[in-house]
Amino acid sequence: MTTHIKSQVLLEAKNVGLSYNKKIILRDINFCIKDIIRPEMKQGQVVSLIGRSGIGKTQLFKILSGLQQASTGNVTIHGDKNVQAGDMGVIFQNYYLFEWRTVYQSLLLAVKKNYDLKGKEDETIHQYAADFHLTEELKKYPQQLSGGQRQRVSIIQQLLKGSNFLLLDEPFSGLDVYVLEKVTELLLQVSVSDERKTLIIVSHDISTSVAISDTVIILGNEAGKAGATIKQEIDLIERDLAWKKGIKKEKAFIETVEEIKACL
Amino acid sequence: MREQSDQKYKNINMKNIFKPFGKISKQTIIAMIALQVMATLLIWHTTSNGLIPKPGTVAMAFGKLLTTKLLLDNMLVSLVLTLKAMLYSIIITLFFAYTSVIPFFKTIAQFIVKCRYLTLTGLIFIFTLLTKDGSELKLSLLVFGIVPFFTTSFLAVILNIDKQEYELCKTLGYNNWQTLYEVIIVGKADQVFEILRQNFAISWLMITMVEGLSMSEGGIGSLLIKYNKYNDLTNVIALQLVIFLIGLCFDFLLGTTRHWLFPHSKLKQATA
Repeated sequence: MTTHIKSQVLLEAKNVGLSYNKKIILRDINFCIKDIIRPEMKQGQVVSLIGRSGIGKTQLFKILSGLQQASTGNVTIHGDKNVQAGDMGVIFQNYYLFEWRTVYQSLLLAVKKNYDLKGKEDETIHQYAADFHLTEELKKYPQQLSGGQRQRVSIIQQLLKGSNFLLLDEPFSGLDVYVLEKVTELLLQVSVSDERKTLIIVSHDISTSVAISDTVIILGNEAGKAGATIKQEIDLIERDLAWKKGIKKEKAFIETVEEIKACL
Repeated sequence: MREQSDQKYKNINMKNIFKPFGKISKQTIIAMIALQVMATLLIWHTTSNGLIPKPGTVAMAFGKLLTTKLLLDNMLVSLVLTLKAMLYSIIITLFFAYTSVIPFFKTIAQFIVKCRYLTLTGLIFIFTLLTKDGSELKLSLLVFGIVPFFTTSFLAVILNIDKQEYELCKTLGYNNWQTLYEVIIVGKADQVFEILRQNFAISWLMITMVEGLSMSEGGIGSLLIKYNKYNDLTNVIALQLVIFLIGLCFDFLLGTTRHWLFPHSKLKQATA
């Protein structure tokens, strides 16, 4: 097992539940994400939230991002602060961007919200654009971008905002093998960019999301009980399956994926 | 071989003219329109009797009308009035449309939308009492007539805003006022031109009616009424042709201005 310690709690969901017209969608959601510290490196956290389609993943995603109010319980960050819209960086499934803003303008809107970057807006945008191979695209509108470029702009926009939390809704959905590889690389790059950077990936692509995560949270239904809840939490570091390249080929990884599938 | 392939392509293209969602080349479109216009003119020419002027007579009257100062003067009067009315209408519309996201103003905006069902004719006397002179009466009636249509179109734009636009604002930490500014005021600015373009025809329709109220000031409407009064059908149709062409010019002008000021609107159209 890779040497590490888990220190303070970064995010905590306590008894989160959601109902619509007396129909229970989510119930008793409890989990916490702790800061992982690895010697001599900046190691962020990557948590996968996995569940079948229609189980309530997107609802939980919206509650975690502060876009939706939970019917019961609450989500707190940095100790005891209730999460609010704007606290998290949120990347939607289709990488939505304002159609009337160029890439540069979209990034500027985000960077202006980050007080740490005041006075360095233009410089920072160009730096990020260069890092993510988007310099040529800065003057373009979203309609002129490819799917992969849109995704990168969407990620940079949320990163520039300055939040340490990044929530991604189905980031691997509809991507071809080449782009999929690029996206996973990009997410890993983001996760090691800062010690406190925390990525929460909501996905039904088990293999890809597990391969880049340190923790897996499985959302599912329990027999005889209405509403989805957390059925299992898997610590991939304990199983020695985290932070490894080519992990998908390892027997232990394949077994873990099968275990998750069986749990859904 | 090449001739055979060209012939085959032409046949496919021609078949598509009558096929649902059929795609045809630009050349075919031009040829098709030319044929349709010619057919219409031919039908018009052969069916018109003594009362309805033939296309040739209208064309001559149209040419003559274009060279007269009478048309230019009246046209300017109508254009100034229409543009003034559209300017005031868009200001009023934007105020109520933007504020319609505030509950207090929402009901007012919804009431304005329903005012489409009021007839201007029934309001002439009230407006006469409220205004100082004929010019003000025409302008206020026109504005009153246009605003409900503008507001209806703009509220439809606001109601159809993608939820993700609001959500993106929230994730960027915007408050409600900042969201209103970004999503509705900035984000839908191009739509203002589209609404102006689509509703310009309504202003043009109303101008004939309101100009008839104060004929002394002139205008296309009053000219049309005069020609109608003396059963000068040739000049009525020629004038209609002028009105039609000016409408087309404005349609083109507003569309081009929109694409020039808001390049993304052209891209949106191309992807749609």
